Amino acid sequence: MLRFVVRRLLLLVPILIGLSILVFLWIRALPGTPATALLGERATPAAVAAVREQYGLDDPVHEQYYAYVKTLSRLDFGDSITTRRPVLEEFQQRFPATIELALAAMLFSILLGIPLGFLAAKRHGGVLDHLSLVGSLLGISIPIFFLAIVLKYVFAVKLGLLPTVGRMSVLITIEHPTNFYVLDSLLAGDLEALWDVLKHLILPAVALGSIPLAIIARITRAAVLDVQNEDYVRTARAKGLSPSIVDRRHVLRNALLPITTIIGLQTGLLLSGAVLTESVFAYPGIGTWLLEAIEARNYPVLQGGILFVAIVFVLVNLLVDISYAFLNPRIRLS
Amino acid sequence: MSIAELEARELQLEPGGGGLWSDAWRRLRANPGAIVGFVLVGLFVVVALFAPLIAPEDPRTGDLSRLAGRCCPGPSAEHWFGVDQQGRDELSRIIYGARFSLLIGVVSVAVGLSIGMILGSIAGYVGGVLDSLIMRLMDVMLSIPGFLLAIGIVAMLGPGLFQIMIAVGATQIPIFARLLRGSILAQRENDFVLAARSIGVPRRTILASHILPNAISPVIVQGTLALATAIIDVAGLGYVGLGPQDPSTPEWGTMLTDTTRYLQTAPHLAIIPGIAIVISVLGFNLIGDGLREALDPKLRGRG
Repeated sequence: MLRFVVRRLLLLVPILIGLSILVFLWIRALPGTPATALLGERATPAAVAAVREQYGLDDPVHEQYYAYVKTLSRLDFGDSITTRRPVLEEFQQRFPATIELALAAMLFSILLGIPLGFLAAKRHGGVLDHLSLVGSLLGISIPIFFLAIVLKYVFAVKLGLLPTVGRMSVLITIEHPTNFYVLDSLLAGDLEALWDVLKHLILPAVALGSIPLAIIARITRAAVLDVQNEDYVRTARAKGLSPSIVDRRHVLRNALLPITTIIGLQTGLLLSGAVLTESVFAYPGIGTWLLEAIEARNYPVLQGGILFVAIVFVLVNLLVDISYAFLNPRIRLS
Repeated sequence: MSIAELEARELQLEPGGGGLWSDAWRRLRANPGAIVGFVLVGLFVVVALFAPLIAPEDPRTGDLSRLAGRCCPGPSAEHWFGVDQQGRDELSRIIYGARFSLLIGVVSVAVGLSIGMILGSIAGYVGGVLDSLIMRLMDVMLSIPGFLLAIGIVAMLGPGLFQIMIAVGATQIPIFARLLRGSILAQRENDFVLAARSIGVPRRTILASHILPNAISPVIVQGTLALATAIIDVAGLGYVGLGPQDPSTPEWGTMLTDTTRYLQTAPHLAIIPGIAIVISVLGFNLIGDGLREALDPKLRGRG
C-alpha cells in the first residue's frame, strides 16, 4: 500500500513539470501580449518596450521559463492586472467559493443518488426503476448551463423563492476568516447570514450536482443488482437474517466500492462544470475568475490560476486512487 | 449457478454461434433504449442533411417588422417556434443549427479519436520509452479539467468553427489513447497474436489486422458517447462566448446564450435550443449505452 502511494506521488513530478511547460507555452501562444493587454492598442513603442523589458519578454525562451519556475517556487504570482491585488490573495478568496459549491453539489447528489439507486434496484423492473433510468439518462444529457438557466428562471425569476446571483446578499456583512461562507457565518454565530448563504448555494449546487446525481444513482442501482445475486447474500438470507440487516451489512457495504470510485471520479469532473455553473449564477469562484482572466488577457492570474486548478485536480484524482486502493482489499493487501 | 450450467445456458441460447457483430446487432435491435436512440439520432441527421429543404426560411436574415416593438412573438401558425430577437424564424434556425452541431460533433470526435487511436496503439504496441512518453503527455492533458482545456485552446487559436472542433477534439485525445492502449495491451498476449508472430507476420500487419479489430469495440462505444459530450461542450463554449465568430451562425449553444436576456418575455427562445441539444445528446447516449451492452462479452448469449 505504501509503495503504491509513493509510486503515485513520484508520478506527480513529471506531470507537474509537463504542466508548467504547457501553461508557460500556452500563455505565450495567446493572441495579444501582456504589453498590449496592459497598455491598450494605442501604446507608444517606447512604453511597449518598457513593459516587455519589465516582464523579460525579450529574453531567450529558456531563461523566461527559468524565471517563471523561480517565481512559482516562491509562490509569487504577481498582481492581477485588472484588480492590482496579489494573485495568491485572490485565489485564497475564490478557491473556497468553488470548493464550497462543489461540496454542496456532491452532498446533494450523494444524499439523493444512493437512496434512489438503491430503491430502483430493490424494485427492479418496477415503475420507480424505469423512472430512475430515464431520469438518469436525461440527467447526463442536459447541458449543465441549460439546467442552471432553467432553474434560475423558474425558482429565482418566476417564483422569487431563491436569489439569482452571487454567494451572499450584499446587505449582510460578516467577517470572513476562512472564506468558506457557510463556515464563516457559523463562526460568527449569525444564523440569518447562514440561511442567506445556503439559499445562494441551493440552485448552483443542484445544477452542478445533476450529472453526478444521475451517475451515482445509476451505478448504485447496477452495483446493488450485482451484489444482490451473490452467494454470500443468499447465505445471509438463508441463515435467517432480517432483510434490512442483509441490505445494510451485506448488500450496501459491498456495493459501496464502485459507488465510492464513481463519487471520486465525479468530484474531479465537478471543476469543469463549475466554470459554467458559476458563470450562470455570477458566482465568484475559480471558474468565473479564470473566464474573466482569459477575456482580459490577465496573464498573472492565468499563469498562476490554471496551474493551481490543475494541481488541485491532480491531487483530487490521486486521493481518489489512494482511497480506492485502500477500500479494495485486493489492491490494499497486495 | 455453476459454470457448467452457465455454459449450457449459453450454448442453448446461441444456436450456430453468430459472429461478434451479427450477435451484437441482434442484441442492439432488441434493446428499446437503443431503438429510441437510433430514431432520435436518425431524425437529427436527416434534419441536418436536408436543412435547406425542410427549413421554411433563411436562418440568417430576419425581418425586424415582425417584432412590432416587443420581443419576441411566441409560437404561431406561421412561425411554429416563434421569432427571435432579430426577427428570424426560430424553427429555421433550429433546423440549420442541427448541421453545425452534427458537423462540429463528428469532426471533433474524428480528430480526438484518430489522434488518440494512433497515440494509443503506438504506446500499447511498441511500448518502452515511447509508451511512457506518450502516456505522461496524456496524463498532463488529463490534469487540466476537460472543459477548461477546451476554453484554453479556443482562447489560444481564436474563435471560429474550425478552432472549436480542434479544441473539443483535443480534450478527447487522452481518453481514446488510454482506452486503446489498455485494450491493445490486453490483446497483445493472446494466442492468435503469438501464432501470427511465430509464422513471421510483420508487426504492422499484426497490429492492423489482428489486434486492432479485436480491440476496437470499447472505442466504438466511447466514440458514440464522445459525440454526446462533444455536442454539450460545443454548446458550453458557445455559452461562455467562445462560439462561432459570426453571431448570425445558428449554433444552438450561442442561440441559447444570446436569448437569456429575453428570458422574462420570451423564454421559448432559450428553451427550444436547449431542448434541441438535449434530444440530440440523449440520442447518442442511448445508442452508446445500447452498444456497450451489445458488445460486452460478459453479456454475450443473453437474449
